[in-house]
Amino acid sequence: MLQCIFLLSDSGEVMLEKQLTGHRVDRSICAWFWEQSVSQPDSFKVLPVIASPTHYLFQIVREGITFLACTQVEMQPLMGIEFLCRVADVLSDYLGGLNEDVIKDNFVIVYELLDEMIDNGFPLTTEPNILRDMIAPPNIVSKMLSVVTGNTSNVSDTLPGATSSCVPWRTTQLKHANNDVYVNLVEELDAIINSDGVLVKCEIFGVVEVNSHLSGIPDLTLSFANPSILNDVQFHPCIRFRPWESEKVLSFVPPDGLFKLMSYRVKKLRNTPIYVKPQMSSESGTCRLSVMVGIRNDPGKAVDSLVVQFQLPHCVSSANLTANHGTVNILADKTCSWSIGRIPKDKAPQMSGTLVLEDGVEQLQVKPTFCVGFKIMGVALSGLKINKLDVKNLPTPAHKGFRAQTEAGQYEVRS
Amino acid sequence: MAPQAQSQRSPSPSQPSGKGEVSDLKMQLRQLAGSRAPGTDDSKRDLFKKVISYMTIGIDVSSVFSEMVMCSATSDIVLKKMCYLYVGNYAKYNPDLALLTINFLQRDCKDEDPMIRGLALRSLGSLRVPNLVEYLVGTLGAGLKDGNSYVRMVAAVGVLKLYHISASTCLDADFPALLKHLLLNDPDAQVVANCLSALQEIWGVEASSSEEAAREKEALISKPIIYYLLNRIKEFSEWAQCTVLELVSKYAPPDSNEIFDIMNLLEDRLQHANGAVVLATIKLFLQLTLSMTDVHQQVYERIKAPLLTLVSSGSPEQSYAVLSHLHLLVMRAPMLFASDYKHLYCQYNEPFYVKKLKLEMLTAVANESNTYEIVTELCEYAANVDIPIARESIRAVGKIALEQYDVNAIVDRLLQFLEMEKDYVTAETLVLVKDLLRKYPQWSHDCIAVIGNISSNNVQEPKAKAALIWMLGEYAQDMQDAPYALEGLIDDWEDETSPEVRLHLLTAVMKCFFRRPPETQKALGSALAAGLTDMHQDVHDRALFYYRLLQHNISVANSVVNPTKQAVSVFADTQSSEIKDRIFDEFNSLSVLYQKPCYMFTDKEHQGSFAFSEELGNLSIGVDDQRVEANDEDLLLSTRKEDSLPQQTQGALVSLDQNEPAAAHAQQTNSVIDDLFGLGLSSSPSSSPSPLLKLNAKAVLDPTTFQQKWRQLPVSTSQEGSISPQGVATMTTPQALVRHMQVHYIHCIASGGQAPNFKLFFFAQKTDEPSNFLVECIVNTSTSKAHIKIKADDESASQAFSALFQSALSKFGMA
Repeated sequence: MLQCIFLLSDSGEVMLEKQLTGHRVDRSICAWFWEQSVSQPDSFKVLPVIASPTHYLFQIVREGITFLACTQVEMQPLMGIEFLCRVADVLSDYLGGLNEDVIKDNFVIVYELLDEMIDNGFPLTTEPNILRDMIAPPNIVSKMLSVVTGNTSNVSDTLPGATSSCVPWRTTQLKHANNDVYVNLVEELDAIINSDGVLVKCEIFGVVEVNSHLSGIPDLTLSFANPSILNDVQFHPCIRFRPWESEKVLSFVPPDGLFKLMSYRVKKLRNTPIYVKPQMSSESGTCRLSVMVGIRNDPGKAVDSLVVQFQLPHCVSSANLTANHGTVNILADKTCSWSIGRIPKDKAPQMSGTLVLEDGVEQLQVKPTFCVGFKIMGVALSGLKINKLDVKNLPTPAHKGFRAQTEAGQYEVRS
Repeated sequence: MAPQAQSQRSPSPSQPSGKGEVSDLKMQLRQLAGSRAPGTDDSKRDLFKKVISYMTIGIDVSSVFSEMVMCSATSDIVLKKMCYLYVGNYAKYNPDLALLTINFLQRDCKDEDPMIRGLALRSLGSLRVPNLVEYLVGTLGAGLKDGNSYVRMVAAVGVLKLYHISASTCLDADFPALLKHLLLNDPDAQVVANCLSALQEIWGVEASSSEEAAREKEALISKPIIYYLLNRIKEFSEWAQCTVLELVSKYAPPDSNEIFDIMNLLEDRLQHANGAVVLATIKLFLQLTLSMTDVHQQVYERIKAPLLTLVSSGSPEQSYAVLSHLHLLVMRAPMLFASDYKHLYCQYNEPFYVKKLKLEMLTAVANESNTYEIVTELCEYAANVDIPIARESIRAVGKIALEQYDVNAIVDRLLQFLEMEKDYVTAETLVLVKDLLRKYPQWSHDCIAVIGNISSNNVQEPKAKAALIWMLGEYAQDMQDAPYALEGLIDDWEDETSPEVRLHLLTAVMKCFFRRPPETQKALGSALAAGLTDMHQDVHDRALFYYRLLQHNISVANSVVNPTKQAVSVFADTQSSEIKDRIFDEFNSLSVLYQKPCYMFTDKEHQGSFAFSEELGNLSIGVDDQRVEANDEDLLLSTRKEDSLPQQTQGALVSLDQNEPAAAHAQQTNSVIDDLFGLGLSSSPSSSPSPLLKLNAKAVLDPTTFQQKWRQLPVSTSQEGSISPQGVATMTTPQALVRHMQVHYIHCIASGGQAPNFKLFFFAQKTDEPSNFLVECIVNTSTSKAHIKIKADDESASQAFSALFQSALSKFGMA
């Protein structure tokens, strides 16, 4: 049972305070918390759940804003953390991003949202679709409307139908002029390549995103050509479990708008689409570095937005790196970033140069890890294929669209 | 460290005090209050926004309360919401003004828009002003019967709010029964969920005083209700599902068929997108199958995939919470996770706390088949930029080496670390090689060859230096220049800051001396000389000890310093298995994240409700048989009074007033008994503030009266006391403490609990009048702390009694 939620700005200022129960939580807890997090050299290192002398604190940080929740009783920790994550998601959804100004400008809406999301410490509704029905998000249209009509209320007058319907994620009376539904496979490739060039870990974490604008209460069935490759899946509450268990098809009544239908994991991929080969050799105080990048297994579509990043070791005093393609940037915190973009057809991109080590250091003992980022549109690297999507219970046929894309998640190459 | 209890209203210096602005606002609000002109709502809204924004940044705007209330007559819902928010925040401090708001809130509770009805009801409950509860009762009653589920949902939570403001009003209006009716019959799942949460809390608290409530609380986890909730599980929101699952985990199905039914029903919850639901389900599965070993294992297999997916899907904060749970399971059954070791590999940009958990798990899952790969992976981290992680991973390699029999390859790796020539790598490796040699002396040959090449000048960290010195001493005969290396170290004795290193140096030079006497003699001499003048007590004592030992008999000295050692087979684990089991019982709670069972970190006050009557019933009543013993003690007293040395303070060991009429009153006798052997360390009760308080040695109180009194009386004192380590050591059962307190005329009426947590109830009576003191004492032997709550008939004497109780407690175990 959460007792209080605070929103702190990136300078530790309390932007918002929402007391949830009769046990008032004093604001000074925030000062304590801030001291703790400032005293840590890296704010990233503060544990998500910490104990203050008086309360147990959950905290998550999103875009520089700290969401802090306090409790004094034992509770399920994930309930706390998960709820805060949900609050952050809903707020950024409502306000179109998260930052100090946007929260301060819209604090009334934030209060209203929190009021509906949690009462007396018990989380209530966190479905964005329902909240949207209760509290209209601030957007240009409503601003325009308010100027024109003089009615500035951003709270809808009626209760959302869903609060009383048996499909809690969907309002009952929805009407769209055009019925369309889009399914998007978004995959992230996590891989570790060790210093011997061996692929030690390679797996895909994927999400099926659906953007649905359908009237009435449609019933959708989505089937895959090869569901057996999925190792583990997580479903949106709207999915009926039985059909999945027996026939591996997803049968559901979708919420309106964009939502995550399911997420999945595919283990043990054998190959990565690209290779990144770093080579280093040190000799009497300098280190020659070269990194080669190229296509290993052609995914069939262009590999885009390719970036290779690494942290220069502390003992490097200066670096001189050039690339035959793309640009190399070395930032003040010794992060070196090589943006390649799209891999050219005619040559293999290569970055090379020398690192000058500090006085007294002969050899480079610390080996940097190269983090690789890329994006491939139009391909789901796991090989997952959508077979078909059936839409039932709809007066007019719907327009259906499918897309896929793969990004690098935690893709690291050790040297 | 502690947040000071500064007033919430005092703004920080960087913020404006806002005084002028607030009075400005007051003026403007007043002007608008009566106005009915069009556009008033808009200007009101701007003003309200300003008020709320001041409130948000911590400026006290309570002075505009009456103006806000006057402006609240509006049909605009946003204005209403802002007004509710404001009123809820300040009503508690302005109960008189809050009365003004009742009127419009009650009117809103009858509004035709269900949303406004709900909001008004919620705000009415949030006022939390005790003398306004009468207005709440009727409105809540209507709310619970409202046609709209939104209102009922708010009303259910409202009942709980009312209960916290005034429990008796809530019970008198018979709200719990209404809630129970709704719980079992309402078509809306959220209403059911809110009723459940409210009832759990109300009956949880009430159960301590009313048997009926205790029965109701039990009834919540009875089969019909559990099945009713489970059958509707999919209707509940994800958060309500967590609550229900938590409740179900308290239910013990009578036979295995039921267990399988429940698990089949809930299996799809493992696929839920909300991590909290998944974890609650996992807890339930683990609890259900605890007694069925083979099924329990299957559950582990089944929950593995969802857990690993949760780890990779969420934000770093979520993954950490899940990882902590995974960590717990991995530690319990490492072999089941042996094939998933790759999931535990650290990613470069994960936070330190995540990496550390992963390293520990990697260490645990290592077995014959995957050791090679895991160690290869760990060695990569050793070259990592992140120094703390590099250290941790070297330690992990060492731990794996200590676990495995095939250490050949690992030893090679460790020795390669030494060639990396980085201070911290060398330091960590040295410590590990030392431990390895203690377990596998057969590797000494390989290791020593490499260790011998390390110059002690390159090793700075005390632990590593101590390890190196230990090896120099232990393997002096194999290392060519051991005596000279030691000699060099002894020459720098003055500059050596760590006493640990100096202690090791003394021992090592002794060992070396017996193996290669001629070469070491000079070094030994100077080491002993330096040791004898050392400022550090331990170093000085050890030097003196060696010196005398050598004087006494050389061969005895040799057998003391160089006994034949057996290889260490298992190094002691830091956390006992009992504690691990306890943490497991508290799966899906904060305990797992802190890696401590809850009694080690939660404050008793907030641990939720404590079922008093129930516990009292289970506790052993230990009054009668101990009275006899008490008399025995009395006898003991009179005979041994002579040798007693009552003490006053720690420092003055023997200063005493023997003339004091020792047996005159209870405390005195205590000190006498406790100091029979002159061992007591804590202050004596002669410094007790109230020597006038005398306790009746033959006090009698029957358990029912005790219970009744306990319920009626307020807590007069609540504090922490400490128990001496000796006391803790004897306290395997509460009886030890019971007997001890008996001597002090403080009688035990009930006791219970298991190590390390005991709970005891004591009572005592004044000699001259029938005035009782009641004590609840919660002892935690792992922290040597006791939490004491005292209730007294005569409040004025409770301080004196508390001091007496504390002093008696502090001497527990001293005699």
